[in-house]
Amino acid sequence: MRRHIWSTAVLSLVSLAAIGPFVVMLVVALSPGDAPTFPLRLPTSLTLDNIIRVLSTDSFLRWTVNTVVYSAVSVAAVLVSASMAAYVFARKRFAGRDVLLWSLLSTMMVPFHAMLMPSLVVVSLLGWSDTYWGLIVPTLANMQAVLLLRQFIRALPDEVFDAARIDGAGDWRVYRSIVLPLCRPVLATLAVFVFLWHWNDFLWPLVVARSDEMRTLTVGLSSLEQGQSTVADLMSAATVCGLPCLLVFVVLQRNLTGTIGLTRWGR
Amino acid sequence: MPRLRSSMTTLAFLLPVLALSAAFRFLPMLGAVGLSMTDYHPGGDWRFVGAENYQSLAQDEIFLASLRTTLGYAALHVPLTVVVALGSALLLHAVPWGRGLFRAALFAPYATSLVLSAVIWRRVLEPTGFLERPSTVLAALAVVGVWRGFGYAMLILFAGIRNVPADCLEAATVDGASAWQRFRHVLLPALRPALFFVVVVETVAALQIFDTVYVMTGGGPVRASYTLAYAVYDYGFRYFDFGRAAAAGVVLWAIVLLVSLGQRRAFDRNP
Repeated sequence: MRRHIWSTAVLSLVSLAAIGPFVVMLVVALSPGDAPTFPLRLPTSLTLDNIIRVLSTDSFLRWTVNTVVYSAVSVAAVLVSASMAAYVFARKRFAGRDVLLWSLLSTMMVPFHAMLMPSLVVVSLLGWSDTYWGLIVPTLANMQAVLLLRQFIRALPDEVFDAARIDGAGDWRVYRSIVLPLCRPVLATLAVFVFLWHWNDFLWPLVVARSDEMRTLTVGLSSLEQGQSTVADLMSAATVCGLPCLLVFVVLQRNLTGTIGLTRWGR
Repeated sequence: MPRLRSSMTTLAFLLPVLALSAAFRFLPMLGAVGLSMTDYHPGGDWRFVGAENYQSLAQDEIFLASLRTTLGYAALHVPLTVVVALGSALLLHAVPWGRGLFRAALFAPYATSLVLSAVIWRRVLEPTGFLERPSTVLAALAVVGVWRGFGYAMLILFAGIRNVPADCLEAATVDGASAWQRFRHVLLPALRPALFFVVVVETVAALQIFDTVYVMTGGGPVRASYTLAYAVYDYGFRYFDFGRAAAAGVVLWAIVLLVSLGQRRAFDRNP
């Protein structure tokens, strides 16, 4: 019993350290005016004024829209393209399949910084500089997603696929009416992760966005940090940037944390 | 004929991923090596310069210091992450109540971005002055990196602990093993694969440390946090020297590859 109390006490301290900075962020963002509540003096009243003020500047609104577009389009495109490839890698036989899969997976080992400059050259050769195309398309080759889905599809019972084949179902039918429905849970988890990766992505949006209108929230937040913003504005901007991630996570955390432990994968 | 149609369908299923990987993975991989052997500046002429960029990097004191800084950061980040993650995973396993709540709290920082972490922590660390002293700046950056990332490592280790058969631990207890002996001789061997995975993933991430450096220090003070990944950005977007930046990126690639291979061999050798 004493041991339980000790571990609970220590774990509570670690947990407090984990969420403490978010509490600081929220308290400063919600404190009235430019009240100097930093590092942490509890405010007497809370207000949404700071957040509304930050959100109502044109460029911040634009960054938020960009981030939503970047994340939403990426989630849809990655889920579709990765599940199609994963089905073929898991369930079809063709010459060179394993070599192809391994060479695709090997690209996961290359640091993004190594590909940064040439990727920008490719984007500018395509005429996509400073556009949504240039922001989104180069980030869609997501082999982690292919790998996870392939493992899941391989573990599905063979009988389902045999039965469909005997019924004369083609690949498209099998993909649409067997693979996608059965992969629903893993697709849902993947959707959250791809959303978080893109929402939180920094380096690529930083280098590909030349104009202020093409920035995402992380890039915009870092530019505010380097500008002359007040702490209250900065923490309000940080709240807008971080709250969607925390909410998505809180709502879906049981689902997510379970999958990580089971599959061992990450970016 | 059906065979041909079937292989066309296979190709069609693969096409999106193949095209994306070819254009934005394989082409940049080759392009990195190619670009690193030119003196390309955007909008200007370029010529082939062979290994000149690499030679000039090898003689550049600032670049060589950035290698040491990067390895120094990894030497702080990785052990700290493993210790905090393993400790929390063991505690999480030991507590009889509120596991879901603790797990959510510990993992929450991982759901947000490194940029956000950097913005908050810069204010939190401001009064301490750690970010202004060359001797402490890497440790301060490591604290932010560990804070944001350890939840992921913890979940993997926690899953590993749960996979250890309860009988093994009970048998050890019956045989009179102390808590430390149970940890050292039963849990730790069983956790080896999970630990290896965590060490590799965290090392690869630490060697590429960029976001927190960009937001919190800009490579300073006096280049004490000027890491390799930051050097790539600096060459590319402050000096617009794409060739040199690409060469620095290739060096980073080689280091990540070498370190991962080295860890693989070390893991295979010591049982």
